[in-house]
Amino acid sequence: MSTFLQACVNGLLMGGFYSLMGMGQNVIFGVMKIVNFCHGEMLMVGMYLTYILWSVCGLDPYLCVPIVAVLMFCLGGLIQHTLITPSLGTKSFTNLLFLTVGLGLLLSNGALVLFGSEYRTITTAYSQTNIGLGPVTLPLPRLISFGVLIVISVALFAFLKYSTTGKQIRAVSQNSVGAEVVGINTKKIYILTYGLGTALAGVAGALLTGFYTIFPTAGASFGFRALIVVVVGGLGSIPGAFLAGIFLGLLETMVALFISPSYSDLIVFVTFIVILVVRQTVIIRRK
Amino acid sequence: MKLKKFLALLCAVAMLGGLLAACSAPAADQSAAPSAATEASKAPEGGNSTAPEGNTPSGDPIRLGTIYAMSGGNAAIGENILRGIDFAVEEINAKGGVDGRPLEVVRGDHAGDPAQGKSEAERLITQEHVDIMMGCHMSTVTEVVAQVCQQYQVPMITAISTLDRLSDADHETMDYFFRLCPLNSVYVKDMLEYLKDSSEQTGEEVKTIAIFTDRAAIGQELIRCVELYKDEYGFDLVATIDYSSNATDLSAQVLALKQADPDAILCDSYIGDATLFVQTLNAQNYKPKMIVAKANGFTDPAFISNLAGAANGVASVVEFNPDLVNGVEINKEFNEKFGVNMNGHTAESYTVVWLFKAAIEAAGSTDGEAVKNALAELEIKGEFPGGRKIVLPYDTIKFENYDLAGEPHFRDNTSASVAIAQVQDGEWKTVWPFDFTDTKILYPAPLE
Repeated sequence: MSTFLQACVNGLLMGGFYSLMGMGQNVIFGVMKIVNFCHGEMLMVGMYLTYILWSVCGLDPYLCVPIVAVLMFCLGGLIQHTLITPSLGTKSFTNLLFLTVGLGLLLSNGALVLFGSEYRTITTAYSQTNIGLGPVTLPLPRLISFGVLIVISVALFAFLKYSTTGKQIRAVSQNSVGAEVVGINTKKIYILTYGLGTALAGVAGALLTGFYTIFPTAGASFGFRALIVVVVGGLGSIPGAFLAGIFLGLLETMVALFISPSYSDLIVFVTFIVILVVRQTVIIRRK
Repeated sequence: MKLKKFLALLCAVAMLGGLLAACSAPAADQSAAPSAATEASKAPEGGNSTAPEGNTPSGDPIRLGTIYAMSGGNAAIGENILRGIDFAVEEINAKGGVDGRPLEVVRGDHAGDPAQGKSEAERLITQEHVDIMMGCHMSTVTEVVAQVCQQYQVPMITAISTLDRLSDADHETMDYFFRLCPLNSVYVKDMLEYLKDSSEQTGEEVKTIAIFTDRAAIGQELIRCVELYKDEYGFDLVATIDYSSNATDLSAQVLALKQADPDAILCDSYIGDATLFVQTLNAQNYKPKMIVAKANGFTDPAFISNLAGAANGVASVVEFNPDLVNGVEINKEFNEKFGVNMNGHTAESYTVVWLFKAAIEAAGSTDGEAVKNALAELEIKGEFPGGRKIVLPYDTIKFENYDLAGEPHFRDNTSASVAIAQVQDGEWKTVWPFDFTDTKILYPAPLE
């Protein structure tokens, strides 16, 4: 029983990251209808930014989160304005696909040139601290990270639902031409959304540094899981992505616990395919 | 509209430039090798003047091809290997080169991919005209590269590819391929031997063992070898846990280990996963009494520094350790140059460069067949002619055909063996074989 509870907690704590990554990906997809293939690399950039702030300025990795968010927002906005917006006009999906894949390669190779291939970690006074809660052990860094990302998720919901900009973002995602007609500056919204998506990935990276190793290809596994989350949770749906992320985290640990850790990846992907097929059939039936 | 096009073009150029920069980094390194040679040759009156030749190498350089991961997830391992090669090349060139000719390193990057390894091997041989080849650090890539070398008759030595299969009956005819390092089964046999011997110091006998490893070929090898020898040592294998490389999370795996609660855990992981594994042990509040790793990521220089105290008590097979009798001196010089200690990969790669030097000098030419024949005959006892004592934990190097666990093997260095070291006070200390060290085993592993 205690192992089961521990596995649940582990799944939740990890699932939170998949959620955050998935939501970032979905914000971008919802508005621009593009799959951001360099989302994982943005997480990696967030990790390295945190590492620099920690090693050079001596900042606690959790204090770095807002700074990383702002920097990543600016980076995302810049990429959107200079690279993606011009390509959006071409209406070519392959163009954007290669653009984001290329950006991802550029970023991970750039990190390799700048930082070398070493695996780095950030150690703080509390990185080895655990909190015992009955039969369950909660590692403090993971717990803090989870807390922060719940706050961020709630803030994101509220922002999209109630703020004027959030409403504008939703309007553009529903009908970009209509939004432009009623006077919304879609280009500005594009910059905002890509910046927001990038910032979310960067924040996920910053939160991971407390207990994960930092290396140039660190984003790949997370970027890939973000894609699963997005597809399972529904393209463009923020709450869907949130739930799907938690679901993915729990699924991984439960499969590992009840079947075998060796099969957890396999079963995750099988579930992924089953969900895709089932949903497709349901949609076709409804039509 | 024009501005947009211009911006897009600008960005495309910037991206291309970035990629080129990433790709040309190895090329820049490549040019560093000859310059290092000239630098070294400027100072023959330095510490190395005792060498018999002692003069500047001249004539056509002998081109040594290397194929390791210099990009991708395992680039860190490649970097360590290349440091060992550079160190040996610089040393050899400073002492007058090979038969008076300088050695030059031509680097290939396999990025962990056998297909890329193959094309890099072909590039190095047909375009760069390398005379001899070293590689790789993933056995599956080594196998492919060895085939290319066989085809073009370029002698190749692998310093660190431990997959047993590489020298088995299927590869009998690949007579251009030699292996310096011990085989996986030798590693694992030594690990089990250590567990058995450890009761002498710990007072507790190891009865149950578990395996924690990468799902890639290295992990399958560990599992296979443990299965092969566990009955001989009377161990009960209670769990076999694996994961895919660069895992995002290992807590499920650690929980499964905790449930099985073995007396000792045997593992093999790359550096990222090794670090995450030890962190996760702490996060899941599980302290196994003994962890014995099959080198790899656990002996990467970043392992201890990344984990701080949490690594204390982790033991590993080592091909080399700075506290080994013949390793102290070279490690000091190496550390002054690179700022990190030598590890097994570095020391073995270093040794292979010297082996090639000895073989080419014995052959009297760089002709592929002559060098191959010289390698087959070569026997190094104690120290290299004109060089150091063998820095690894054995005193003979000779490539031989022999039988291992009932299977014939070809052109392996049969004297190769390993030692076991344990992290104590943030440093690797050799703890086994007991005759080679005064350090006692830290038991149970504190992991803090």
